[in-house]
Parts: sequence; C-alpha cells; structure tokens
Amino acid sequence: MASTESPVRRGIGDRLYEFTVQNRVWRSIFRSGYPNTPRNQMLAIATNVFLHLHPTRIHRTHVKITHTFCLGGLSFFLFLGLTVTGVLLMFYYVPSVERAYEDMLALETDVRFGLLMRNLHRWMAHGMVLTVLLHMMRVFYTGAYKPPREFNWVVGVVLLVLTLLLSFTGYLLPWDELAFWAITVGTDMVGSAPILGQPNRFVLIGGYDVGANALIRFYTLHVIGLPLLAAIFMAVHFWRIRRDGGLARPL
Amino acid sequence: MAVARGAQAGAEPVSRAVRARQVRRREEELLVWPDLVFVEFISAVLFTLTLTLLAIVINAPLQDRANPAHTPNPSKAPWYFLNLQELLLHMHPALAGVVVPTVALVALAAIPYFDTDTDRQGEWLSTPRAWPNLIVGSVVGVVGTALLIGWDSQRHVLAYERWVGSWPESLEWLRSARALQGEIAAWLPASLSSIPLGEKVLRTDLLGLPAVDLNVNLPAVLIEQMLPTGLMVGLPVLLSLVAWRSGLAYTRRDHMILQFSGFIAVFIALTVSGTALRGEGMEIFWPWEVRPAES
Ligand code: HEM
Repeated sequence: MASTESPVRRGIGDRLYEFTVQNRVWRSIFRSGYPNTPRNQMLAIATNVFLHLHPTRIHRTHVKITHTFCLGGLSFFLFLGLTVTGVLLMFYYVPSVERAYEDMLALETDVRFGLLMRNLHRWMAHGMVLTVLLHMMRVFYTGAYKPPREFNWVVGVVLLVLTLLLSFTGYLLPWDELAFWAITVGTDMVGSAPILGQPNRFVLIGGYDVGANALIRFYTLHVIGLPLLAAIFMAVHFWRIRRDGGLARPL
Repeated sequence: MAVARGAQAGAEPVSRAVRARQVRRREEELLVWPDLVFVEFISAVLFTLTLTLLAIVINAPLQDRANPAHTPNPSKAPWYFLNLQELLLHMHPALAGVVVPTVALVALAAIPYFDTDTDRQGEWLSTPRAWPNLIVGSVVGVVGTALLIGWDSQRHVLAYERWVGSWPESLEWLRSARALQGEIAAWLPASLSSIPLGEKVLRTDLLGLPAVDLNVNLPAVLIEQMLPTGLMVGLPVLLSLVAWRSGLAYTRRDHMILQFSGFIAVFIALTVSGTALRGEGMEIFWPWEVRPAES
C-alpha cells in the first residue's frame, strides 16, 4: 500500500499490477501489501502459514550460504519432493508379490513421465540420506548442539534414523533381485541380535522369510507410518529451532 | 501442579535456557524476506533442476524379478548399511548388526549432554585446536580402519609372499582374525571350545520354559566378540589419551571433535570398503576388479 503510490506517469504495467492486487479477491487471500517495505516484508512472513516457519528477522551471519550450506533446508525440500513423487508413484503401484514388479515395468514403459518420476524418487531418496548426514556434520562442526539446543540434536538423531528407515523400507518395493536380497541381508542383521533378534525380525517381515507379508508391511510403513512420524519430528525440530532463539551463534 | 512442585522442592520451574534467552541486536539482523527466502528459493530451483537432469540422464536400477531361490553373489544391503555389512565380515553378527549401531546412535545422541561448554558455538570450527583435532581424528580413523581390514583379509600375507617368501609357520596367528582363532583353539583344552552353558547352567526347562541351546565356544567368543569390542572401545580411548598427553586435545570440545571426526572417518571408510571393494563372496578386490553380482 504505502509505497505503491505511482511516481510521475503510470504505464500499462503499473495499471495491470493495480488491477491484479487492488481488488477484493486478491486482498482476501494476501492480507499484506507488496513486500517492498520492512513492514510489509515482515507481514509477508508472519501472515503466511508456510513462510511462518521462519522468524521475520534473522541474524546476518546465518544468511551466509557457508554457514548452513542450506543442508537442513535441502533435507526438508527433498522430503517434500519425495512426498510429491511418491504420491504419483502410488497411483500405479500395487504392493503384491504378483503385481509389484510388473507395475514397475509398466511404470517405466507405459506411463507418461513414469520413468522420470521413479528416477526422481530414487535419486532424491539417496540424496536425502546424504544431505541429512552432511547436515548433522555441519551442526556438529559449528558446535550448534550445545545448550539450549541439546534436545533438538536428539530430535535430529531420531530424524536421521527415520530417514534411513524410510529409504530402507522403500528399497524392497520394486521387488527385483536387488530389492529382495538387500532386504534379506538387512533384516538378517536384525535377526542376529541375542534373544530379541528373531522375534523382532519375525514382526518386521511378517514371517521367517521376506515374502508377501514383508512387502505389505514395508509398503505401509513406507507410505504412511514413517512419513507421518518424520513429519511430526520435523515439526518439533523446526519449532525447537525457533524456541531456542534461532540458529546458534556466539554468545 | 508443575509450579507447585517446583516451588516446593525449591527447584527451577523452567530451565536456564528458557529464562535467559540470548539477546538479539536489531542492527545485526536482516529481514527474512527477501534475504533468506531468496536464498532458499534459488537453492530449491537449482536442486530441482539438477535432480531432474540427473533423473533424465541416469535411470534407477531395476534388475530381474525377485527370485528367492537364487542368491546373487555378492548380495549387498543398501549402501548406507554396507558399513555394517563390512563389520559383519569381521565379528559376531549380533555385535556388528545390532550392538554397534545401537551404541553408536545412543552415543551420537548423548554428545550435547557431555560437551556443554557454549564457548564459540555457532561458528565453523572456531575453538582453538579444532582443525588439528579434526585432521588427526579423520586420518587415524581412515588409516586404522584400512589397516584392520587389510589385516583381517590377509593383505600383509599376500604382500609378504609376493616380495619375500612363504608366510612363516610361527606367525600363523598373525595371518587374520580367523587364523588367530584357530591357533587359540588348538592351544586351549578342547573342552573350552564347547562349554554347554545351556545344559548345565541355564536350565530354563526346569522353569517350564523352552530349553536354551547355549553352547559357548571360548575361542570364538574371544575372537568374534572380545577382540572387536576391545578394539572398538580401546582404540578411541587410546587416541584420546595420546591426544590429551600430547596437548592436542584439551577441552571436552577438543575430544568431541577428535572422536566425532574419527567416527565419521571410520563410517566412510567402512562404507567405501563395503560398497566399492567387496566383490564375489564379499572378498576384497581393487575397485576396478569388482564386478556387479551376476544374476
Ligand atoms: C530429516 C532430517 C532433518 C531435517 C529436515 C532438518 C532440518 C533442519 C533445518 C531446516 C534447520 C535450520 C538450519 C539449517 O538448515 O541448517 C536445522 C537445524 C538444526 N538441526 Fe536439523 N534437520 C534434520 C536432521 C537433523 C539431524 C540428523 C541432526 C543432528 C543429529 C539435526 C540437528 C539440528 C540442530 C541441532 C539444528 C540447530 C542448528 C543451529 O542452531 O545452528 N538435524 N535442521
């Protein structure tokens, strides 16, 4: 509002702009004016539920790319991208021993952009494991886990485990040789624990061998159980960053 | 309720962190819009583009349909678990597959509760001696892991036989962990290789529970459990001791950087070994000799 007062002559662009933003529909959606004044810039963050994950102001050292290398943000970005591509893949994939592999083949050949979606999902999943590990290292080497951020580091470790489990459960779904044997080797490790190993392995894969039960269990965990948990822990993670006074900086 | 309890015990109702929040100086702050939102937007765009390009150029693997009757050689877990699978080759499966990862995760989560000194927090490696500790920790981690893996895969024996002659009989126990186990078994009374704990001591069947089939093989316990545990606990402790005596690591943060860097280095070394160096039969090869499993 404040500074949209036109200077000398108003061109077609200015009039188009005013026509777009100065009407009741636009105003009902975006309540603050164009973010070109400090006040409107802060309102743009504070009145938007998504942007509101941020504070409105931030210490200047934290804007430098080399401080965080955007790694936490990229992990979150990859999580969102995996959700989008994952939902698209779910349209075509049926988690049964008879159909899973055929669906993968069909996805790659018969579905428009199916191969691209599958590739994206796969590389984003590997990428997320990497960015989360790197993010952990950046937090460590900047000493950003110290009080009062101890608990957020613990939340982070939980997120790391959830990320690995998400990737691992997804690994079985194509039901090819790679998937089957990787999960067999992986769950055999669980089974080797003293006393509780075998019962745990049995619960995890729903039997003594990786089969139809394991597929449906991994699928359910992969598409709803673990993403839900991860989203909850991410909400806590982000909330705590704000509560702990933003990112760590020297006292 | 919470307030009442706090007041009664004289305890602090809220933690120190909540009462004394760090002061913020307006003049040192920037507006999130545009300064941060812009950076985030650009990196999101760059990442989307890079990933899309990657997904166009490289296809996700899809092998033949799963066939439980046919085990590929080698069969490997996903890459981020290959560090554990590498460990599995050198020690008892319960140790490598369950105990080590559990202990590692708990230790990782416990870091901030041991290293609480907030001096120089929020800056890259800015405490004194941070870099030397990082470098020493990483180098020791990589070299130590390589040496141990090399020893257990008899690389030194191969080198010796290639350049000198056949490996001396008297040094048989230095061949590998397995060879050492064989030597110990030959040296100890045979009865110690099979101690029937289940039958004699843990008589669960007397309690109406299923009988425990526990047969302790002392040489196996020594080599598969005691030796690796001793190394995995002892070597980091030794590293910290040496670093402390030599003045390299002084504060807790120093030791944390030393140990964490060592841990990351070992993690990477194990992952690389499990991924790139292990071929058929999980034997060790040069990376260019490793062929993917044939199916
Ligand atoms: C799915 C996984 C994760 C996501 C999406 C995530 C996201 C984020 C984001 C967006 C930030 C803001 C600063 C930045 O980008 O670096 C952050 C900060 C932080 N993260 Fe994570 N994170 C994840 C995993 C972890 C892990 C594995 C750890 C540690 C073990 C961790 C510990 C922390 C801590 C302590 C901070 C505060 C850093 C500071 O004050 O400078 N996070 N996280």
